[in-house]
Amino acid sequence: MKRRKIPSLPAAIQVLALAAVSIFAVGCKEKTAVLHVYTWADYIKPEIVARFEKDNACKVVIDTFDSNEAMYAKIKAGATGYDIITPTSYMVSLLQVQGMLQPLDKALLPNLVHVDPDYLKIAIDKTMDHSVPYMLTNTGIAYLKSKVKDFEPSWAMFDRADLKGRMVMLNDMRETIGGALKFLGYSLNSTSEDELAQARDIVLRWKKNLAKFENEQYKTGLASGEFLLVHGYSGDILQVQAENKDIAFAMPKEGGTISCDDLVITKTAKEVKLAHAFINLLHDPQVASQNSNFTRYLCPNKDAYSQLDESIRDNPGIFLAPELRAKCEILADLGADNAKWIKVWDEIKAAK
Amino acid sequence: MKRSRFPLLIMGLVLLFFYLPIIILVINSFNASRFGSGWQGFSLIWYRRLLHEPEIWAAARNTLVIAVLVTIVSLILGTTSALALHRFAKSRLQRVHYTLIYTPLVVPEILMGISLLMGFVAAGVGLGLFTIFLAHVTFCISYVALVVLGRLQDFDFSVVEAAQDLGAGWWATARKVLLPMLAPGLAAGGLLAFTLSVDDFVITFFVAGPGATTLPIRVYSMIKHGATPLINALSTILLVLTFTIVLVSQRLSRSNILEGGV
Repeated sequence: MKRRKIPSLPAAIQVLALAAVSIFAVGCKEKTAVLHVYTWADYIKPEIVARFEKDNACKVVIDTFDSNEAMYAKIKAGATGYDIITPTSYMVSLLQVQGMLQPLDKALLPNLVHVDPDYLKIAIDKTMDHSVPYMLTNTGIAYLKSKVKDFEPSWAMFDRADLKGRMVMLNDMRETIGGALKFLGYSLNSTSEDELAQARDIVLRWKKNLAKFENEQYKTGLASGEFLLVHGYSGDILQVQAENKDIAFAMPKEGGTISCDDLVITKTAKEVKLAHAFINLLHDPQVASQNSNFTRYLCPNKDAYSQLDESIRDNPGIFLAPELRAKCEILADLGADNAKWIKVWDEIKAAK
Repeated sequence: MKRSRFPLLIMGLVLLFFYLPIIILVINSFNASRFGSGWQGFSLIWYRRLLHEPEIWAAARNTLVIAVLVTIVSLILGTTSALALHRFAKSRLQRVHYTLIYTPLVVPEILMGISLLMGFVAAGVGLGLFTIFLAHVTFCISYVALVVLGRLQDFDFSVVEAAQDLGAGWWATARKVLLPMLAPGLAAGGLLAFTLSVDDFVITFFVAGPGATTLPIRVYSMIKHGATPLINALSTILLVLTFTIVLVSQRLSRSNILEGGV
């Protein structure tokens, strides 16, 4: 006996699949121009986006990614449809080398005159040919003022035996080995095996005093007093400071990392004009200051500085003194030399 | 002889291990403190802030639309493939079919994500909600098929034959006999597909196109840069929803069994 029901079911499937497809098709139909921005979550003040939509009679769709590497893998595999992306500058160089970015049309970006020339001196793309700096963060040291006696803004703090077990460094090879390289007076983009070996020995010495290497919970730990001194990003620390006034942030006197997320336009962008207009708006001094006050990161726009919140403007850990700033560096893409760093980092992580 | 308390203790510890983090999350969603560094008083501020986050709600809507459609489609496709697998288990074709159904369960997610992405790009399919839907169906079919297949394994097909002997057409047989008896398997498979679809991050990240951010993608990005208590509040709402659905479905399945009286 045959079960006749089986051959008849595919008809039902087809009907349903068709229904599904039509639902999606309706959802995708657009009339007005749409600008697609691919960025970190909560990285652009919503009111600014709303204003741009109104002024340009367009729609801005924001999608989010959570790591430069994952974003790169996706774009590299051929994902298209994004007009503007905000990768960190080392990733921008990689995207540029791979021919995945468009050159910028300066005529459409009059607001670039406001970009801080002091920052551009240390930037990778100094002439802003294909990227515009968007948000800066410094990697330095945060600590509890009442608990850490005789604080000194130096990487040497991680040698302090009295803070043993109450300190955390970032679980990020570029930041942590970079700190040790700076402590030794080398460039944090060093690819010399000898310098890296020295830096490894320094980090191994520090490791004995550390509770752990960690990237997220250190903020909470500092706010609750579990940790007394942490290696962290100024943007994160400023957010926690709002909750615990006892927290202070300082940039080590030997120098440290400045990271910058840049605005870039992809090669496959459809709305090139709108993308330029959006980048231009983000560097309007008024907008840039509002945006910085919202994200707690620093937009390197010199004419916006006077309108920043006091907590950002008067913070020597964010506005670095010129001689300290000269010692700081941007993380550069290491290319093939990355393997040397990974080897050293593995040795550090594996050591008891 | 007195029964040992040991199994009870182990069960208690396991449950504690499962649920304690969730309880902490729920408590923290009512904490006024942004960084959960200590109790700073009861507050609904995160729920209020959540109301004013259109991007999160758009992501939640995307997630739910996809999950519902994925559940329906993968239930149908998965069940039919389970029927074929069970009925013609001995044929070589079905053995190949079984392998194909089984493979997505063991292929690493990252591999599936990137290969689906490359497949879509090569085929010229624009990335968006539709590609996420296709990708989710791809792996959900396997789960549904295997769950339903398990149910079919102890299924007495003489009941179906009896129904047909008594003059029931295929539709009547399917609706009155097959469907009710398969219902627990279908419910389990459907819930599994729904959960997997709502939950998936890795594959979704790769096949999502512009304007198709789902909740997991949004939440991952928020952990990096945004306010975590919003995530706690959102998770609490999702938890309440999930528990309600589970409770309701348990109620329904219990009354079904009573009515069915099999």
